[in-house]
Amino acid sequence: MINFEEELKKFHLSLEIEEAEDALYRKNLTDISDLVVEVVKEAKQNKE
Amino acid sequence: MRCYNCGCDLTGHNFCTNCKVDVTNYKLVISASNLLYNDGLEKARVRDLSGALVSLHQCLKLNKNHVDARNLLGLVYFELGESVQALNEWVISKNLQSKKNVADDYLNLIQSNPGKLEALNATLKKFNQALTYCYQGSLDLAVIQLKKVLSMNPKYLQAHQLLALLYINSEEWGKARKELERCLKIDINNTIALRYTQEINQTLGESGTPGSQGKGKNTVKASLTKSKNVSDEAYQYQSGNETIIQPYKVSEGKTVTSIGNLIIGIGIGLAVAWFLILPARIQHAQAGVNEEMKVVSEQLDVKSATINELESKVKALENEKQKLEGQLDGFVGTGGTLEDVNNLLQAVRIYIETPEEVMKISEYLEKINPESVTEESSESFTALYDLLLGEVGSQLGEQYYAAGMDAYQDGDYELAVQELTRAAAYDATNVDAYFNLANSYRKLERDMEAIAAYEKVIELFPSTEKANRSQSYINELTAE
Repeated sequence: MINFEEELKKFHLSLEIEEAEDALYRKNLTDISDLVVEVVKEAKQNKE
Repeated sequence: MRCYNCGCDLTGHNFCTNCKVDVTNYKLVISASNLLYNDGLEKARVRDLSGALVSLHQCLKLNKNHVDARNLLGLVYFELGESVQALNEWVISKNLQSKKNVADDYLNLIQSNPGKLEALNATLKKFNQALTYCYQGSLDLAVIQLKKVLSMNPKYLQAHQLLALLYINSEEWGKARKELERCLKIDINNTIALRYTQEINQTLGESGTPGSQGKGKNTVKASLTKSKNVSDEAYQYQSGNETIIQPYKVSEGKTVTSIGNLIIGIGIGLAVAWFLILPARIQHAQAGVNEEMKVVSEQLDVKSATINELESKVKALENEKQKLEGQLDGFVGTGGTLEDVNNLLQAVRIYIETPEEVMKISEYLEKINPESVTEESSESFTALYDLLLGEVGSQLGEQYYAAGMDAYQDGDYELAVQELTRAAAYDATNVDAYFNLANSYRKLERDMEAIAAYEKVIELFPSTEKANRSQSYINELTAE
């Protein structure tokens, strides 16, 4: 049985053109390589 | 492929030739990323856009620098109506690879058309407004707004989904199903659309007993049942106090409606032709006929005038013909000039051959019309006639006078009149001939002719004894 209120919560406001720049800056572009580099860096720091 | 540590191009070795870092696992990650891109591309090609989105997002989680995956992701977003997210992906892609990048073309295409960009933005704003209406409970306004959105961008998936949800909420199953079908045309494996469809099918197929009510305010309340009396192509459900029968195959209804609309359109077209076009055509044709009638009438008038003129000429020619025929008869026919000439010539011939045969000469001379001698004959004819008459006239006069007097004395006054008339004609100086002619008329009691003859005597021989006697007889006759 579909619950209208619950379903409605799944819909989000669309980004408008004016908000595109902010959204671009907020976008998380980290990928697995970045994570690996970060992990390796932390490991080196811990050794030192 | 570039080294994640220094950015140098990698070779076939498992380490970077520049910074010596181990890239074995990195290469595996890049390979997995490529696999996910291929998977996303395959799904996008069959319009499984939801699946493509998942694969491309995973691809970019592994390798954020995958330009093709980012471009494809932007394209999928744009196809789903998420224009801003599409632009973001293309902008990032362009920053990653500024040359020979298809994202550049996409961006130029949108930016070169400010109207298109404004329309996309207006669509997004209206959708947001519709969603706000939903949050506020103004569902009717939301439906109206979403219809506007979809008229501006029919591929806006989220708007279709939201509109379907609103229709489901208002228990308009047919409309909801239509919207969900449109969702699935855009994205064949769209999870929400499939779930809503499944929910509707379950709700319509597994409904409870008729008349059962919904469980909550915002819960789909319809309780549905398959009616035994309703065919398999339709279903029946109870909405409040109303029993609603709705066909499964909406498309058939559409077809019937389309045919109906087509027939109505043809009918309207025929009506327009009958009431608007046909009268104008008839009027035009009548105008043409009137014009032709006018031309024909003018030609008829001209021909009638010509006929009248010709008839007048015919009449004139007939009159002239009659006149000429009369003239010809005057020359040729009995008593005509030619006959008179012939008679005169015969009389002359007899006079030359046998001058003593005066009676024969007289026969021919008497055939000559005396009037024609004076009026119509030529001078030579008149001269010859007078000459012959001068030669034989006195003799003829004497003979006729003698014959006349014999008849008079015998009491044959009719014969006396004939003979004395000839005698007077051949000898105008014979007063006795005139006088006895008058007496003959008197004896015959032809008083008027007698008086005329007596008056002739008085006229030709005035102051003579015969004139006096004539006057006496006239007095007597007039007294009677």
